[in-house]
Amino acid sequence: MGELGLIKQLIIPVWGHNIVLNLNVIGMTWIVIVFLIVFGIFSRWKKGIIPKPMQVMGELFVAQFYSLTEDAMDKEMAKTYGPLVCALFMFLLISNWLGIIPMLDEPTKDLNTPLSLGLMGFVIAHYAGIKSKGFKAYAKEYFQPIFFMAPLNIIGEISKIVSISFRLFGNIMGGSIIILVVSYLTYSLVLPPFLNVFFSLFVGTIQAFVFTMLTVVYISVQVK
Amino acid sequence: MAIEGVDIVKAAAFIGAGLSMGLGAIGPGVGEGMVAAKACEAIGKNPREAGLLTRTMLVGQAVSESTGIYSLVVALLLLFVV
Amino acid sequence: MEFETQTIVRMCAYTGGGIAMGLGAVGAAIGEGYTASEANLAVSRSPKISGDIFKNMLVGQAVAESASIFALVIAILMLFLDIQTAHVLKASALFGAGLCIGFGAIGAGIGSGFPGGQACAGISRQPAAASQLTTNMLIGSAVCQTPAIFSMVVALMLIFIDFSNAPLYPTWAALIGAGLSTGMAAIGSGYGGGLAAGASCEGIARQPNSVGNVTTTMLVGQAVSQTPSIFGLLVSFILLFKTFPQSGALSASMALLGAGLCMGLGGIGPGIGNGMAAEGAVKWVARNMNHAGELMRTMLVGQAVSQSTAIYAMVVSLVLIFVI
Repeated sequence: MGELGLIKQLIIPVWGHNIVLNLNVIGMTWIVIVFLIVFGIFSRWKKGIIPKPMQVMGELFVAQFYSLTEDAMDKEMAKTYGPLVCALFMFLLISNWLGIIPMLDEPTKDLNTPLSLGLMGFVIAHYAGIKSKGFKAYAKEYFQPIFFMAPLNIIGEISKIVSISFRLFGNIMGGSIIILVVSYLTYSLVLPPFLNVFFSLFVGTIQAFVFTMLTVVYISVQVK
Repeated sequence: MAIEGVDIVKAAAFIGAGLSMGLGAIGPGVGEGMVAAKACEAIGKNPREAGLLTRTMLVGQAVSESTGIYSLVVALLLLFVV
Repeated sequence: MEFETQTIVRMCAYTGGGIAMGLGAVGAAIGEGYTASEANLAVSRSPKISGDIFKNMLVGQAVAESASIFALVIAILMLFLDIQTAHVLKASALFGAGLCIGFGAIGAGIGSGFPGGQACAGISRQPAAASQLTTNMLIGSAVCQTPAIFSMVVALMLIFIDFSNAPLYPTWAALIGAGLSTGMAAIGSGYGGGLAAGASCEGIARQPNSVGNVTTTMLVGQAVSQTPSIFGLLVSFILLFKTFPQSGALSASMALLGAGLCMGLGGIGPGIGNGMAAEGAVKWVARNMNHAGELMRTMLVGQAVSQSTAIYAMVVSLVLIFVI
C-alpha cells in the first residue's frame, strides 16, 4: 500500500519560495497533447467525400459539440467558442482515460490541471460577458439585488472555479484511490478490472462531459 | 494535558466551521436537485423551449445556492478570522 | 478508576458493533417495507399474476437487504474478532468503523427499496415486461449499494490496519472523522441512487420499448449521484493515511473531527438532490423518448450545479486537514 503515500504529495505548498514542478503531471499532459495532435492529423489524412474511420470520428466529435454550443449560445457565438469547447472535451476525455494504461496516470488526478482549466473557463466566460454587454452592464450585475450584496456575488462567482475544478479532481482522484485500495485488499484478483472500467471509462467520460457543459453554461450565462 | 482557554475557543471554531458547511450544504443540495428534477419534467413536456428552461433552471439554482455560499463564507471566517 | 487498554478496546468494539447493526437495520427495514407495500398494492390490482409479483418482491428485498448484511458482517467481526493490539487508537478506530457502516447502510437500504417496489407495481401493470423489469431492478438496486460498499471498505480498513505507530492525540479524532465522513456521505448517495432506479422501473413499465434509453439515463444519473460519497471516501482516506504530527492541543483533534463531520453532513443533501434530478430525467425519458439526449444533458448540468455545496464541504474539510 506504499503507493497511497502519494496522497500526501498532492497538495503542495505552491506559495513557498521554491517553485514545485510536477514532472509526472507535465509528462502525462504532453502524452495527451501528442495523442490529440496525432489524432487530428490522422483524421484529416486523405479526407474525402467517402470518409475514412478516423475522419468519421473527428467529424462526429466536432459536429456534436458545435450543436451543443449552438443550443446554449447563438450561432455567431458558437463559431467563436465551438472549437474551444470541442478541444476541451477531447483533452479531458483522453486525460481521464489515460489511467487505464498501466504505468500512466491521469493528469486530472493532480489538482493543478483541473484548477487551471477551470480558471481558463472562468476568464473566458467573463471576457465574453464584458465583450458582449459592455463593461458597465457587466459590472452592474454584481450589485444586482442591493448594492451591499456585491462581496457575496463576487464570492459566488469565484466559488464556481472551486466547484468546477474540485468536482473533476475529486472524482478522478477518488476513483484511483478506490482502485488502489481494492487491488490491495483483494490482491489484485477479479475486481480491479471492472473498477477500472467503471471509474476510468464511465465516470471519466461523464465528468469530462460535465466539465465541458459547465464551461459552456458559464459562458452562455455571462453572455445573455 | 492542560486545556487552555484559547485552545478551547479554537477547537470550537473548527468544529463550528465543519458543522456550518456540513449542515449548510444539505438544504441547497436538496433544493437544487428539486429544481433540476422539475426542469427535466418541463423539458420532457415541452422540448422546444429547452434552452430557455435550462437557463431558468440555472438562475434558480444559483439563487438557491446562495445560502450554501453564506455557510461557506461563515466556515472560512471561523477558520481564518476567529 | 483505572482500566487496562485492552478493556477500553473491547468496550469500543462492543459499542461500535451495536451502533453498526442498530443504525444499519434502519434503512433496509424501511426499504423492504416499501417494496412489500407496493407488492401488496400490485397483487390487489392484478391477483392473477400474484406469483410473479411475489417472486419479484422477494428478489428485490433480498438485494435491498445486502446493505444491512454488510452492517451485520462488520458487527459480528467486531464482537468476535480477537484484537491483539492493545492500543487506545484501536478503540477509536473500532468506534469509527461502527459509525461508518451504520450510517452508510441507511441510505442504500432505503434507496434500494424503491426499485423493488416500483418493479412490483410495474409487473402488475405490464406483465409482459416482467423480465425486463426484474433485470432493471437488479441493476438499479445493485448500483445504489455502491455507497454502502464504500463504507464497508472503510470500516474494514479501520478494523484491520494497525495504527499503533501513530501519535494518539490528533489521530484518534482522524479515525472517528474518517468513519463519519464516508458513512454519512453515503446516506444521500444511496437514497438518491434509489430514487433514480425507482423512476426507471416505473418508466419501463409505462413504456417497455424505452428500456435501453431509460437504463442508460439511470446509470449515468446514479454514477453522478455517487459523487458526494466518492468525495467522502477521498476525505476518509486522507484522514486514514496522512500522518499527523503529535499535538496535545484540543484544537488539532477537533479540526480533524470537524473535517470528517463537514464532509459527511455535506454529502447528504447533494446526494439526495442529485437523485431527485436523475429521477425527474429518467421519468421523462420514458415518457418522451425522442428527447432523451436533451433530458440527459439537462440532468447532468442540474446535478453538477447541485453538487457544488458538497464540493464546498470537501474544500472546507481539506482546509481543516491540510492548512490548519
